[in-house]
Amino acid sequence: MVAILGRSGSGKSTLLNLLGGIDRPDAGTVEVAGLPVHELSERRLTDFRRRHVGFVFQFFHLIPELTGEENVLMAARLTGAASVRHGHELLDRLALNGAAQRLPHTLSGGEQQRIAIARALVNQPSLILADEPTGNLDRAAGAAVLDTLRGIADGDRAVVLATHDRDAAALADRVLTVADGRLRE
Amino acid sequence: MIGTAVTLSFGLATGFERAAQRSDLPDVIARFEPRTRDEVDRRVRSLANVEDRSYRLEVEGISLSADGGSSNKGTVQLVPRGRRGYAVVDGRDLTGRSGEVVIERGLAREWDIEVGDRIGVDRLGTQRVAGLAVAPDDVAFPLAANPRVYLPETLIPAGFRDRGRSVNLALLWARDPSRLDELLVQARSQGFGLENLRFVTRDGVRALVDQIAGIVIGLLIAFSLAALATAGVMLGASARADVQRRLTDIGVMRAVGFTRAGVAGGYAADAALVALPAAVLGLLAGALLAASPSARLLEILNELSPGGALALPLAGCLVAVVALVVAATTWPAWRAASLPPARVLRGMEIRHRVRRGRTPGGPFGLGLRLALARRTRTLATASVVAAATAVVLLMLALTSFLGRLQDDPGVVGKRYELSARLPASAAREVAGLPGVEDAAPRYVADGVDSFALGQPVRLVAFPGDHVPFEAPPLAEGRRVASDREAEVGQGLADALGVRPGGTLAVQLSSGAEARFRVVGVVRTLDREGRVAFVRSARVLAADPGLQPEVVIRVEDGAQTEQVQERLLSLGAEPRAVGGAAPRNQAFLGVLAGVLRVVALVNGLICLYVLVQALAVTAAERRQTIAVLRAGGARRATVTTMLLGTAAAVLALAAPLGVVAERLVLGPAVARLAAGYASLPLGAGVVQVALAVLGLAAIGAAAAAWVARRVEREPVAAGLREG
Repeated sequence: MVAILGRSGSGKSTLLNLLGGIDRPDAGTVEVAGLPVHELSERRLTDFRRRHVGFVFQFFHLIPELTGEENVLMAARLTGAASVRHGHELLDRLALNGAAQRLPHTLSGGEQQRIAIARALVNQPSLILADEPTGNLDRAAGAAVLDTLRGIADGDRAVVLATHDRDAAALADRVLTVADGRLRE
Repeated sequence: MIGTAVTLSFGLATGFERAAQRSDLPDVIARFEPRTRDEVDRRVRSLANVEDRSYRLEVEGISLSADGGSSNKGTVQLVPRGRRGYAVVDGRDLTGRSGEVVIERGLAREWDIEVGDRIGVDRLGTQRVAGLAVAPDDVAFPLAANPRVYLPETLIPAGFRDRGRSVNLALLWARDPSRLDELLVQARSQGFGLENLRFVTRDGVRALVDQIAGIVIGLLIAFSLAALATAGVMLGASARADVQRRLTDIGVMRAVGFTRAGVAGGYAADAALVALPAAVLGLLAGALLAASPSARLLEILNELSPGGALALPLAGCLVAVVALVVAATTWPAWRAASLPPARVLRGMEIRHRVRRGRTPGGPFGLGLRLALARRTRTLATASVVAAATAVVLLMLALTSFLGRLQDDPGVVGKRYELSARLPASAAREVAGLPGVEDAAPRYVADGVDSFALGQPVRLVAFPGDHVPFEAPPLAEGRRVASDREAEVGQGLADALGVRPGGTLAVQLSSGAEARFRVVGVVRTLDREGRVAFVRSARVLAADPGLQPEVVIRVEDGAQTEQVQERLLSLGAEPRAVGGAAPRNQAFLGVLAGVLRVVALVNGLICLYVLVQALAVTAAERRQTIAVLRAGGARRATVTTMLLGTAAAVLALAAPLGVVAERLVLGPAVARLAAGYASLPLGAGVVQVALAVLGLAAIGAAAAAWVARRVEREPVAAGLREG
């Protein structure tokens, strides 16, 4: 688990977007696990995201018309039946069965973010990019979310966490700081 | 669409009157066997209410030839000085100089003749074409079989000297056209002794033109009016949808202190500024699209294009369109500005509580739910697409009907397939031929109503019951049961104000009168319903020289061609019976062109409205789409989602459109076009299936196009919103 620490506007989110292939660099190169992401065509970039990357956003970005379960399974449907089964398992594992059949606006912030984490994990990506995942949560809910992310990192996945909260960053194995456009250990 | 509809309907609805006015069409045209000018003039001079007159010799069966074609059915009119009865539309009129002719515009177009070219006129040899003319007393060549040429009478051309100074045509202009009946009564009495005297009034000319193309023109005008109303609904709904898209702006304006009137006024001004140039461009584009086929149609009918006169209705439409858009924009803006700003900012019509299990899962189901979350917009879009669909369905039904009208005699109530010029006595022999189910002599006698002489009437007579051979549906009363009775067409009943129980008195061209008691009113397309079905006894008593044709019903399963061969062996020339529309390919080609333009305009409207609705959905749901794309959704997934949104609109629009066409547009157009007949203008299963397939294709194209545009936006840009 790597934490990217920095003030608002320092470029943490941009770095995550570049790593996840949802934005392109104006200059320079981006490599993820040896893959030159900056060189990929739009189609291959889409495949890269689907197979290797899961996103967790500060504002959850759940689709308001879909229930918790449907939000998770919508992402699963992009890769197939195995992911759908995995989606159900994730809802069980993250204790989200109560939230699964409800629409997002009826869920608490913590529940919404855990649904978003389940969505990020459903296709079993090797890299989870979490952008201020606790920025919109109270302390208790934030702690629960961070515990979940820590648990994911303890498994076999890499988690990159962008945050301005030093307490959150303290959970990471490695902390990098963004300042003045530079990334420092 | 409005520009197209106005150009078509105005041009066609006013074409005859415009041509009649410009050509100074006489109020009465009398034809008779040639008499000396002095004798005819003596009779005409005694008539009251005649403002002006012109006598001519009209010679038929003239050979005409030019580089572009030839005909031996030409008609030449020797034209004296004075009023013409035709309008010169190119070149100049006759000056009295020999060696020059004026030819009708239809002939010039068909044979590719220009002013200054030469045309061979029978024994006169080649003549220089001085001008092209339009005379709306008949349709143009080649829809009319006889091409017309005008020659100066002052120098009686050498080829016609053998005719002396006789005339066979009198053109009369009435001082008071409203008292034409009296003039006709006098003219008939003064015409005693003139052989084969026939009168045609302006109404008669119009009926003649209508006989050839009236139902088609009526349908086009009615279709254009229906399209006009539909366009109004579309405009209103689109303007309203645009305000719905900008609700957040209204919330912000109200939050920072704008008054309700300020918000609504601002939107009204914006709408007017956008609508004015857009309406100008749209109306001009529509008018230009329809101008060419409309002008061609008018040319074929020997009528004139409205030219600059079209500017007035177009300007009226411009004002109406801008007013409609401003009203449709201002009203929802005013309503939104009346609500608490916070509610407007939340997006007052979004409904997230879409019940689970009612929509399928996956991207398609998501698209459906996005549409359901914006119910008002979905309904508005669906109503616009439904209106366009209804017009397209109407057009398909119209095309199918016109096809049947041309080929299927059953459409006009005829139950016989063949006819042949044979004496009445041959009917029994014909009925005995193998393959013939029945045969009977059918008499047709043209005349005028004895009480309203300007009203042409056609009597269709059979010796016995006409129903086995000709059975237009009864609208009122009962069928004819005796020689004294008549069933009248709805058009005739309306024109003369006769109903069952009344009397129909017809003055035939023989000069004798035949009277009948009206027992029924039928709906028939023939001659705009200005016909009457009677038994032949009284008609033959009034006009003993009337010659019938024998009409033949072919047995089920029998080959019509074999029956035709057997009739040929009897010495008859059998003719297959068609419907009510002209068989002229050029005319039908132009008509098809007009319908294609309207179909194209409607298809583009459907596509535009769907693209606009999907683009608004995609813009509003940038974040949702960005989340899907961040999770690895390809363009196909986004397309599928947008297809779901389009499907929600189309699932509403298709049935609405079908219902609107079958219950509103079809009956309305049928009533407007031919209130005197029953026109089956409801779309059939095949047409509905075609329209649904077309809508599906348009929905798929719109979804694919919007998804392609969405893909160009970086995913991160969509995620930053919110």
